[in-house]
Amino acid sequence: MGKVMVIDYGLCNGCYNCQIACKDEHVANDWSPYAKTQPDTGQFWNKVYDNVRGQVPKVMVTYEHSICQHCDDAPCIAACNAHAIYKRDDGIVIIDPEKCRGNRMCIAACPYENVIYFNDALNIAQKCTFCAHLLDDGWSEPRCVDACPTGAMVFGDEDDSKIKALIARAELLKPELAEVKPRVYYIGLPKKFIAGAVFDQEDDLCAEGVTVTAANGESGLKATAVTDSYGDFWLRGLEDGVYTLLIEKPGYLTQKLGPVDVTRKDINVGDIGIWKA
Amino acid sequence: MAEDRAPNGRSGETTLVRDISFCGVPENGSNASMVDVKDGRIIRIRPMHYDWKYDPERDMNPWKMEVRGSIFEPSMKTLIPPYSIAYKKRVYSPARIRYPMKRVDWDPQGAPGSTGPGGRNTQNRGKSKYVRISWDEALDTIVFEMNRIKETYGPTALLYQCDQHGENKVVQACHGAGRRLLPLWGGYTLQIRQPDSWEGWWWGSKHFWGCEPVGQGRQSNLLYDVAKNCELLLFWGCDQETTPWGWQGQLPSRLSYWYTELGIKQIYVCPDLNYAAAVHADRWIPVLPNTDAALYLAITYWWFKHGTYDKEYLQTHAVGVEAFEAYVMGEEDGIPKTPEWAAPICGVSARVIKALAEEWASKRTSVVIGNGGPGIRGPYATEPARLQNICLAMQGLGKPGVNQVKMIEWGLFDFPDQYAQPKPLRVPNLRTAYTGGHPSDTNHPSLPKTYVPKAILEGECDWWGCESETAPREDQFVHRFYPAEGCSRIHAVWTDSPSWITCWNSGNDYVRAMQHPDIEFMWAQHPWLENDALLADIILPVNTKLEEDDIAGDIFSGQYNLLFPERKCIEPLGESYSDYEIVCMLADRLGLLEEYTGGRSIPDLIKLGYETSRCADLISWEELNEKGYFVVPTAEGWEDEPAGFQRFYEDPGSDPLTTPTGLLEFEATGLKEHFPDDPERPPVPKWVAQGVSHEETVGTERSKKYPLLVISNHPRWSVHSQHEDITWLREIGTCKITGPDGYQYHPVWLHPSTAQKRGIEQGDVVSVYNERGTVLGAAYVTERIMPEVIYMDHGAKWDPIEPGVIDRGGAINTIVPRHTTSKNAVGHAVSGFLAEVEKTDLDELKRKYPDAFEKPFHPCAGPGLEACIMGGE
Repeated sequence: MGKVMVIDYGLCNGCYNCQIACKDEHVANDWSPYAKTQPDTGQFWNKVYDNVRGQVPKVMVTYEHSICQHCDDAPCIAACNAHAIYKRDDGIVIIDPEKCRGNRMCIAACPYENVIYFNDALNIAQKCTFCAHLLDDGWSEPRCVDACPTGAMVFGDEDDSKIKALIARAELLKPELAEVKPRVYYIGLPKKFIAGAVFDQEDDLCAEGVTVTAANGESGLKATAVTDSYGDFWLRGLEDGVYTLLIEKPGYLTQKLGPVDVTRKDINVGDIGIWKA
Repeated sequence: MAEDRAPNGRSGETTLVRDISFCGVPENGSNASMVDVKDGRIIRIRPMHYDWKYDPERDMNPWKMEVRGSIFEPSMKTLIPPYSIAYKKRVYSPARIRYPMKRVDWDPQGAPGSTGPGGRNTQNRGKSKYVRISWDEALDTIVFEMNRIKETYGPTALLYQCDQHGENKVVQACHGAGRRLLPLWGGYTLQIRQPDSWEGWWWGSKHFWGCEPVGQGRQSNLLYDVAKNCELLLFWGCDQETTPWGWQGQLPSRLSYWYTELGIKQIYVCPDLNYAAAVHADRWIPVLPNTDAALYLAITYWWFKHGTYDKEYLQTHAVGVEAFEAYVMGEEDGIPKTPEWAAPICGVSARVIKALAEEWASKRTSVVIGNGGPGIRGPYATEPARLQNICLAMQGLGKPGVNQVKMIEWGLFDFPDQYAQPKPLRVPNLRTAYTGGHPSDTNHPSLPKTYVPKAILEGECDWWGCESETAPREDQFVHRFYPAEGCSRIHAVWTDSPSWITCWNSGNDYVRAMQHPDIEFMWAQHPWLENDALLADIILPVNTKLEEDDIAGDIFSGQYNLLFPERKCIEPLGESYSDYEIVCMLADRLGLLEEYTGGRSIPDLIKLGYETSRCADLISWEELNEKGYFVVPTAEGWEDEPAGFQRFYEDPGSDPLTTPTGLLEFEATGLKEHFPDDPERPPVPKWVAQGVSHEETVGTERSKKYPLLVISNHPRWSVHSQHEDITWLREIGTCKITGPDGYQYHPVWLHPSTAQKRGIEQGDVVSVYNERGTVLGAAYVTERIMPEVIYMDHGAKWDPIEPGVIDRGGAINTIVPRHTTSKNAVGHAVSGFLAEVEKTDLDELKRKYPDAFEKPFHPCAGPGLEACIMGGE
């Protein structure tokens, strides 16, 4: 039975326990033949990255995670000319620290970022092992998952019904790379948002019940939100692109706003005043 | 207890259960962790699994909250924070003190006030290097100096600084092990710590609703009450993803996700998008630092104007409402406290204030606090604290879903009304075996911690209250003096909690006080060479708790309570001993050992802890040692415990508050009687922009020169000053930022607009300064902070470029206000103050202070021992 990991960004509070526990496990502890020691700093076999999204006061943080995807058709295995990288029966991909010759072909071949690191002192490539040394001792999950307080990281057998249910809700980090068959799944990968606040210019009061529609001129996609008692709207789950906003409320003049470009980042368009018709 | 951690028994490692939490009060243990050890070395630290030796259904009576079709259960493991997991790095830190040391230019033969060779050179504290000495020399010197000081000035010339926080220890007493020795020796002056996360509630709310001893609301069963009854939660300066970590772990995080799942809206009111707001907020309302009082007032104005508050409740539950209403509506001073009035003060638009007031009045709303934060630790913190309470009162405080909910310290100080989580059958208590100082300790004479620099630098001072950390409201009306009648001024300082500089008010003043020639001798005992230890004449090496046998209780997690004997994981590093052992050695040399210990050994004390833990009838000593821990089952019927102020709400007469009237005092009876004309803490709470104590708001004369408001919350990646040397944490971008000189600087949060105006870019080394000094940091340019505000969390390791003037380590408390909460309230005011920031000319600084910049530092762990040892280590 193959092992898989599911990471739910919607439950990650950014405590970095996973990143720290990984270091606690692998720095200064030699788990040969699974892995040699990780340097004290500089390597993150399990890396957390703060994605601060939006502008004051419509801001949120999504904590993103880089970890070896333990691909079934792993490009690193194919690329290693020392044949040092192998796949276990449980799906885990291991760089054999004894066989590694430090040729760095794997680093070049890996299509993911921040996964394989080079240890200059030992002249070897190193990465996540899913703590295979612990699994082989009877542990049910690697250190990062054991350390996760919120349940944002789940580890188990791909045939387990609970895992299957999670995978059914999950996506791949890079859908375009499905052919390498990664074993890490993600829930809640960030999609762009447009947010703002609508108010009545005359009364200087927040405008509730305003319909805000974002239209992507290129794809024709549309998204709609209705403002709350603060006049706030959040248009979430948008595809990258350029949008035009339509701001409508019965009894008020309809307004258009744009272009709003969320190709590169989430946007708070700020406060929008509307006028009674 | 000693068992192979691997289910297949092949690891060769031994697993020990340890409390790795950092409150430093015996009732407040938490963060039970599994420490795997092999060959005398710590292999790993990980969450403790309750079901390791117990069957949950059979032994633990697991609780669950079933509300609105959803179930919340505790995790089967402890939810420890990253610095507990990384604690091995703290144990083996390059800053560990391994042997006794003496300041190289302090000569105990020198006359008081002497300088130069053979002198005491107190002016060099913070600059001098250290040499290794033997334990004999160190102890002989300390005892000689103690007796000399006593003979010359009397024993009260010795100031003992010995308060929390620190490693949680019981028998080995992290702080204050000398409190029982010094009275035997003849006496001393005790430094009394103020609350440093509850200032406003302590000095303010106690006059509104009593709630001894901390001034925060009753918490009983509130986690369940919120789930059942709340529609809206206002997290007011609360960061439950930061502050509770060192105390209790991360159950507050799981709960916050669950409350969202239940459809309970979460609004965060704070100048920064704090770590909780970053992941849980449905709305962030940025408010200018320390202007919350104006915002609360505008909300009450809106309620008074529209009648959207619970008038009937106030008639039976409160007094002084008319006086408050007169102030709010402008009858008293001609200024109605309208949303339009408040908006320019607090930076929240009038229309958002109105929307907030209306939503609050229309929904079952609790205010959530988490200690610390930007709203409660500033100048005049008594005012926002009381006004927050007033808002709750106006909406029927104690009604289901209407309370002040704490996200931290569930079960504080063993008080039943502080148990917000499902109650355990028993709360383990280890106070009897505890050898250290307790917040409730008193001594005559004593000195408020906030007044230590003032007392030493000015020679005399007076204040009100502060008899202890748990002194009741009435104590705030007791006038005290330094020097107390018949007592000496301070001439020697003993610290076992050397973190004053980076944690308290105006740390630069403290440095100058310790450099004062009157302080003839200062000694420190601590595991790490950091902060105030850098001022001491003698430094004694203390071991970390993983090098000691002890006993612990985990009572703060919110999940299950635990009791466990703690077995030493590794041998003490270098020549270190526990604080308690060190005090025993001193007692021995003073001829007081037998009297001090009562003839009890450390194993005796550990056993005594078990016997008096309240759990001895639930598990035998033998079984406890064999299993290694005991899980206290949940109490039957926990669901029926009254929630928060419920009983007071139902019948104020049968469950009165501890205020003079027994009711909620909108006009405080005690303040009116004792301080009727105090404009800084008036009987009716007000917006106080400035006063005799502080000029720290925008619009004041000072703000022309120092236009930015600084907030300084408790840190995310450390507990106050603890954990600053953990290399793995320092790699996190919000923990440290590496400057062009390779030094890891403390982040200074700036909004892009604030940075741009000053030509500052992400990662630039910047100087935060006012007339009290300069602190270096590195710019963290982010949308997580509102414009015109900067954020620098406190506790960074002090690394003076010029002690008392400029700091490279980022210890922002060196430049916070020197004056206390207000004239008659001696809390510290350490957040919400004025400063300016500019890009640092590092080359210029290096030219000016070549020695400081040539000091070696560990590239990944920061300043350590090597910079301070004569001739290198």
